[in-house]
Amino acid sequence: MALQEPVLTQRIPTPPFGDPADRKLIRHEQYVASGGYAALRKAMEHEPKEIIETVKISELRGRGGAGFPAGLKWSFLPPQDGEPRYLAINADESEPGTFKDRLLIDFDPHLLLEGIAICMHACQLDTAYIYIRGEYHHQAKVLEQAIAEAYDNKIFGPGTIMGKVNDRDPRCFVHRGAGAYICGEETGLLESLEGKRGWPRIKPPFPAVAGAFGRPTIINNVETLAAVVPIIMRGPDWFKSMGVKRPEGAPPTAPASYGPKLYGVSGHVNRPGVYEEELGIRLGDLIENYCGGMLNGKKFKAAVPGGISMGVLGTDQYDAVLDFEVGRKYACLGLGTAGVIVMDEDTDMVAMARNIARFFSHESCGQCTPCREGSGWIYKTLCRIEQGDGTTRDLDMLLELAGSMGAMPGTTICGLADGTNWAVRTILNKFWDEFESRVAKSSSVALPVLTH
Amino acid sequence: MAWIVKNSAEMTIERREEPYLDDQMKKELEAEVLPRFPTRQAATLPVLHAIQEKHNWLPYQALEETADFLGLKPSDVLDTATFYEEFFLQPKGRYLIQVCQSISCELRNHDALLEGISRKLGIQPGQTTTDGKFTLMTVECLGSCGTAPCALVQGRLHEDVRFEDFEKALDSLPHEDGRPDTPASERA
Ligand SMILES: Cc1cc2nc3c(=O)[nH]c(=O)nc-3n(C[C@H](O)[C@H](O)[C@H](O)COP(=O)(O)O)c2cc1C
Ligand code: SF4
Ligand code: FES
Repeated sequence: MALQEPVLTQRIPTPPFGDPADRKLIRHEQYVASGGYAALRKAMEHEPKEIIETVKISELRGRGGAGFPAGLKWSFLPPQDGEPRYLAINADESEPGTFKDRLLIDFDPHLLLEGIAICMHACQLDTAYIYIRGEYHHQAKVLEQAIAEAYDNKIFGPGTIMGKVNDRDPRCFVHRGAGAYICGEETGLLESLEGKRGWPRIKPPFPAVAGAFGRPTIINNVETLAAVVPIIMRGPDWFKSMGVKRPEGAPPTAPASYGPKLYGVSGHVNRPGVYEEELGIRLGDLIENYCGGMLNGKKFKAAVPGGISMGVLGTDQYDAVLDFEVGRKYACLGLGTAGVIVMDEDTDMVAMARNIARFFSHESCGQCTPCREGSGWIYKTLCRIEQGDGTTRDLDMLLELAGSMGAMPGTTICGLADGTNWAVRTILNKFWDEFESRVAKSSSVALPVLTH
Repeated sequence: MAWIVKNSAEMTIERREEPYLDDQMKKELEAEVLPRFPTRQAATLPVLHAIQEKHNWLPYQALEETADFLGLKPSDVLDTATFYEEFFLQPKGRYLIQVCQSISCELRNHDALLEGISRKLGIQPGQTTTDGKFTLMTVECLGSCGTAPCALVQGRLHEDVRFEDFEKALDSLPHEDGRPDTPASERA
């Protein structure tokens, strides 16, 4: 199994199909010359409902972290009622290890805009906001320029090839965040878009029913919308010829992993970068065939499968298949963003856990006590262990603390705390001996805790 | 840590005659940005970005002007502004250096970079050089993990950074960059 031709990276030279040194920004003219906006024209020949159906059949799953089927999400929208309806594109990309959306925006922004336009038609959404993280200064400018080109060429604005969408002229804007990871959480994003603190909302209501400004809103990741373009152009069957099928005998409702995927690899490999492959590549193949093997010929120790929220794969999971089943099969949270972080034999897992805990503690929005207090507590405990002052009891405490926080244990509003939970627990469980030997060497004497 | 509340009971707000959010900016924002949203509040982030772009930070007076412009309470704008790490409610140096400290950068030796910068400028993360030229900060993942370690200098990304090259880049930055000067008395 290997990708036969580049799909999302069709215009972005990427090994093995092209040389990254040849990458350049594709402007509107080149985009159209290489077949761009044909999928939008094709989509316009079909009823919105048919497009949603096509995306549903393709079983395209969200590329932003949660893997929710895109077509299904789109079908949750209530019927039109004459009032505005929104599309929010999630370009917040702040999960450590994740840098794939940036590649698409850097070089092929019109692919995203075409996906946006198709989604607006399919779901009858009149206004699109691309919520991009504040640190992506350059990328925001690239998008502004591409959007201006799209207005000039009648993709958005009055009298466009889309005509009226939801009885309005379709519009698309860039909206810059200002440095807060939590604004990548979809309802945090909406709050931020509304000009407030990015505090995630309690769900339900779900955004499809009451999202931005209290109106129906679809939120999709950059890569998800980019993937809609080839699906419309070449059909769901072609899309499903890639990836991993549903296991034999599984019910049709069981999720499968179809299509191409961008894998961003960082850490201890010779050639880190974003690579496109069919869903379901083996971790070892990704490292050896794409990334030129482990840095300095060192041995593999651990890898994060998809952004640090997902936890880690252990030393014996080098053969893990990176599809949406990775969580269930290899005791981690899931595929996430497919931002793979590779660690070699010299990596100090206590230090890694400390780094990750600091991230979550720093980025917690503070609404839920288990997340706000728990992450800080975990971070401080890990610092202490790293400095050689930990105790065995600390390890149990870490597991207990981590296990108690998250939307899945039902103690928090959003999934950030689940990220903390899974990251800390999987590192601890899979590298228990390392943690244990660290606390065993500890010089400190455990004092009874009198007050706290 | 957006939830840490700052003591504002004894704070006095410094004011100046000239507005930070001037008529020209208001006109442009009114024409370009406000029609994008069904509410005026939604323009909060774009307005704050615009002011910070021009003045390099967000004085309290500017927050009040923003509130006034958008028909909000000053506390609404303060509430929003304090949440976001990129909004500076205190003056910062002319060039902001943001060094990534997240995991992929730590794996690729961001320590050496950070230490080098810190030693060269004689400041710790969070501080500004006495001449007001540089502010150094550590930040979380910059979305450039494949080319770690990395840092932003005044919004410009430097990838795969070795300290020696970075040092040269810093040295080549002019002190004057056309922005109005931050009076010495206002520097952190
Ligand atoms: C704490 C947190 C941060 C998130 N950050 C992002 C992000 O930066 N980009 C993104 O696309 N999705 C992010 N998500 C997932 C979104 O909530 C949402 O599921 C996604 O944008 C939906 O798009 P998709 O279905 O196309 O993947 C985050 C989720 C959580 C809980
Ligand atoms: S889980 Fe954490 S980040 Fe999410 S809403 Fe609660 S406090 Fe905020
Ligand atoms: S970890 Fe430093 S850029 Fe992502």
